Amino acid sequence: MAVCIAVIAKENYPLYIQSITTENELKFHYTVHTSLDVVDEKISAMGKALVDQRELYLGLLYPTEDYKVYGYVTNSKVKFVMVADSSNTALRDNEIHSMFQKLHNSYIDVMCNPFYNPGDCIHSRAFDNMLTSMMMQVC
Amino acid sequence: GGGCGGRRPGGRAAAERRGACGGEMAQCVQSVQEFIQDSFVPLVAALCSEEAERLTRKNNLGFSELVKPFCRLTSEVHMRDPNNQLHVIKNLKIAVNNIITHSPQPGGIRKLLNDVVSVSQPTEGLVTNVITAGDYDLNISATTPWFESYRESFLQSMPASDHEFLNHYVACMLVVSSGEPEPVEQFLKLSQEQHRIQHSSEYAYPKWFIPNTLKYYVLLHDVSAGEEQRADSVYEEMKQRYGTQGCYLLKINSRGSNRGADEQIPDPWSQYLQKNSIQTQESYDDGPYTVISNKNADHLISDDLDNDIQVDGLSNNFKAHPLQLDHLSDTSSSFDGTDYIKTTSSLHESKKTSSGTPHGACLTLTDHDRIRQFIQEFTFRGLLPHIEKTIRQLNDQLISRKGLSRSLFSATKKWFSGSKVPEKSINELKNTSGLLYPPEAPELQIRKMADLCFLVQHYELAYSCYHTAKKDFLNDQAMLYAAGALEMAAVSAFLQPGAPRPYPAHYMDTAIQTYRDICKNMVLAERCVLLSAEILKSQSKYSDAAALLIRLTSEDSDLRSALLLEQAAHCFINMKSPMVRKFAFHMILAGHRYSKAGQKKHALRCYSQAMQVYKGKGWSLAEDHINFTIGRQSFTLRQLDNAVSAFRHILINDSKQPAAQQGTFLREYLYVYKNVTQLSPDGPLPQLPLPYINNSATRVFFGHDRRPSEGEKQAATHISLDQEYDCESSHQWKELEEQVVAVVNKGIIPSNFQPTQYCLNSYSDNSKFPLAVVEEPVTVEVAFRNPLKVPLLLTDLSLLWKFQPKDFNAKHNGETKELACGNDMIGAEVIAEFLINSEETKMARLKLFPHQTGELHILGVVYNLGTIQGTMMLDGIDPSIGLQAGKFVYNGMSVRGRQELEIQGPRLNNTKEEKTSIKYGPDRRLDPIITEEMPLLEVFFINFPTGLLCGEIRKAYVEFVNVSKCPLTALKVVSKHPEFFYFWWKYCCSNTTESLSF
Repeated sequence: MAVCIAVIAKENYPLYIQSITTENELKFHYTVHTSLDVVDEKISAMGKALVDQRELYLGLLYPTEDYKVYGYVTNSKVKFVMVADSSNTALRDNEIHSMFQKLHNSYIDVMCNPFYNPGDCIHSRAFDNMLTSMMMQVC
Repeated sequence: GGGCGGRRPGGRAAAERRGACGGEMAQCVQSVQEFIQDSFVPLVAALCSEEAERLTRKNNLGFSELVKPFCRLTSEVHMRDPNNQLHVIKNLKIAVNNIITHSPQPGGIRKLLNDVVSVSQPTEGLVTNVITAGDYDLNISATTPWFESYRESFLQSMPASDHEFLNHYVACMLVVSSGEPEPVEQFLKLSQEQHRIQHSSEYAYPKWFIPNTLKYYVLLHDVSAGEEQRADSVYEEMKQRYGTQGCYLLKINSRGSNRGADEQIPDPWSQYLQKNSIQTQESYDDGPYTVISNKNADHLISDDLDNDIQVDGLSNNFKAHPLQLDHLSDTSSSFDGTDYIKTTSSLHESKKTSSGTPHGACLTLTDHDRIRQFIQEFTFRGLLPHIEKTIRQLNDQLISRKGLSRSLFSATKKWFSGSKVPEKSINELKNTSGLLYPPEAPELQIRKMADLCFLVQHYELAYSCYHTAKKDFLNDQAMLYAAGALEMAAVSAFLQPGAPRPYPAHYMDTAIQTYRDICKNMVLAERCVLLSAEILKSQSKYSDAAALLIRLTSEDSDLRSALLLEQAAHCFINMKSPMVRKFAFHMILAGHRYSKAGQKKHALRCYSQAMQVYKGKGWSLAEDHINFTIGRQSFTLRQLDNAVSAFRHILINDSKQPAAQQGTFLREYLYVYKNVTQLSPDGPLPQLPLPYINNSATRVFFGHDRRPSEGEKQAATHISLDQEYDCESSHQWKELEEQVVAVVNKGIIPSNFQPTQYCLNSYSDNSKFPLAVVEEPVTVEVAFRNPLKVPLLLTDLSLLWKFQPKDFNAKHNGETKELACGNDMIGAEVIAEFLINSEETKMARLKLFPHQTGELHILGVVYNLGTIQGTMMLDGIDPSIGLQAGKFVYNGMSVRGRQELEIQGPRLNNTKEEKTSIKYGPDRRLDPIITEEMPLLEVFFINFPTGLLCGEIRKAYVEFVNVSKCPLTALKVVSKHPEFFYFWWKYCCSNTTESLSF
């Protein structure tokens, strides 16, 4: 279902990007990078007061010809971006939502690792496996 | 005719004004209203006699070019609309063109537009805006003149279409010289000619607004050559015949062409003709030429033409349309690479020649004013009354028909086609784009009226006409016509003074969709997009504008897509909260399209601008891709330094690319580098970025390699490059050495004492210059690391050094000779091949043999960097990936270059100042002093026991060898436990080898 999942630091550099195939990797990187503009726009569109109690899930950021890009922002402004194949119409919004929540949970696990330095790229086998399973799930 | 209004004198500004507004899409000097007004102006045809053309040619100008700078009126004009209301026209511009009886070829237009864009490059001093968004500071060119000129040329070169009348000729000027034998006859001939062009079925082009085109008779008089009286009398006759309002006597060429002394007269033509000379390869014989598309007609005309020319010199050289290509094959081969270079170079030449020859050499300032006045007079007395009359007539026709035909039409239609909802959605009418009205169809009259109103800036009336026309066309399901009416309705709604209704963007959207999807007419769709995007931007609806621009990018034109994407990118950056990343992304897309369209410089510019966003933000894959493209483009543009630095970036950033990609990068880098070095073979050796050198891991070893243990003989030392450094033992050795030196020197350690260090590394004390002995090798171990996933092959690897010979006995300084000054002083070992596998760290040991005493400085390494052949195969990746990347055959290509060895010393931490600041001490590992010959002792153990029982006594032999020629005396043996040893000497073999057993 998801073809690319990315974790982006608060400062907008990638902590983790994984895509299902390597051939389109560059394209996914560009897509994810460009989607950050929409994330920024969505966050800044919300009022200051709302930011604290907002929904973390941002919903569909934008659709491209072949893909749909979804976003999710944690309270510490770490962004999760998921690119899904737009041909997969079976994918519902709440499924995406729950995928993001799963992703958030594994991200928290990574953060809980005392040997992980916040801000470093994520090198974690458990995280890898989690994401791979998320990308394989429905395929 | 009605009241043609006030006239204000002067207005040289009219011409200059245009020059000032090199308007631009992102930040436009020209306002949107002006831009749209100037995009749709009344068109006037010009038909000149050959003699008249000769007169203007004296100025290196055709007639239409002659009047071009004066075609904007500086004064307001009044006219009356059909309801007899006074209407003010401001700042009106007209266009005078030669008749060309051939519709422009799409290939020619494409070439023209391509040339226009490639010629317009950002100048050095182009204003750049610094836009700060978040953590980004971007330098972005504030203007995009190439887009401006593209848009202008695009709109001008649009072929006239049957569904609209905006670019149909409203009037025709007939121009005859007063010097001709029978000017009046000539006028008749021209008039017939015009009539024939308009009404005979031979010519489908140009298009005329209404059947009875206004003819305006212009008598051109050469002041310097012609007889004034004759001209006046002919003019009188003309006035009799055509009325004062229908003819004009224009006097030009007051200045003799030879007088070049007073060159102070401004040249208002230059700004137009530079463009022109690009547009038309033969701009200056761009006379009254009609072009014939079909061969038969050509035949026909040229037959009677010959007669004409013979008899009365009627000029009718039917020349090729400036937009027509000589060889159409050229266009099909598109503009890739070499082709493009040719065209630009020829363009530059033509530009040079055109700017070299001055225009208007025979014209005085009075002549300029005369031309200006002529155009004003023509517009006020001829054109506008004609338009006013035509609007009136059309209006009357419409009113008279309204009652009858409208009801009749709709009734019959309803009857035949069943009950139809009048406002049908466009999508349901897809198949009906084929409906075409005949040119004089009653349905088109309202559109005609709307267009005329639009041209004279009566936007309210135009809007209501377009709006009605739109409904009619939609009812008839004439989709092309409906789209046209929608487009212009939207534009005139926007232009209405006081903006009584908001800009109907959805009209435009429907028009674009219809043009593109139903009518398959990309040119018209593009015009809509250009207009609408400009309007939206003026209303700060940047995201709508961007969406519009992006939607029109398609596969059929790379140039258009590139330009539109770039404009879209500018939209993103101009938004209230700038979307930097979208800007960058669309810049990359634009760059890609530019490069496909052969616009290499523009492509490079786009990529470089996008680079600012991606640089150093951790998006390495994207960054690599951009760097790679920049490198490629710079290389093809022969900007080798840029290319090298771009490629260098890809290689030194810890690349996350797959091996195949890295292999490609590396080979391209080597190829480019090779080109650089070939260009300047005598230049200094380039600094290579690969492989990495771990400077601090460099180790230096002085002396010969120890002979390995053979049999029971065992070298009595632990110091060699193969040994890991052991801090504790080396400290013990140091202590022992100090003790023995103290004993020898009667208990005092001399102040210049320095413990012997054969092997220097990052742990040893490197603050003093180490001592090396002449004729004894200095071995440097360099730690190379290959960060890439492809193997690197270094060949002819050796050290780079500097040597100052010094004789330490005699105190005279030898002259300092630097850098590889012959092997007689220093011999260097060369490693022929050194292969570093992917992501491997590997040590290389390089030796120097000093043959003289002095100061040696080891500077770095020099080598050929290369790849090994067939890398791709090794990695099991399809070799075609690598091959498609470049057209070069990589046969283990290599480049010679160097890398410095720079070792940072330890951080100083002694004084307060050193503690508070960050300072590093020197590291002199690589700067040995070569001293005179010294004895060199080698010691071996023979039968040395590896384990002993407590109290056991064993006999072992120690062999001392002095391998130097220098005699060795006063040998002392030190031990931490001297009580364990008992020595007896056995002098043996030679005088240099001694054995000792204990």
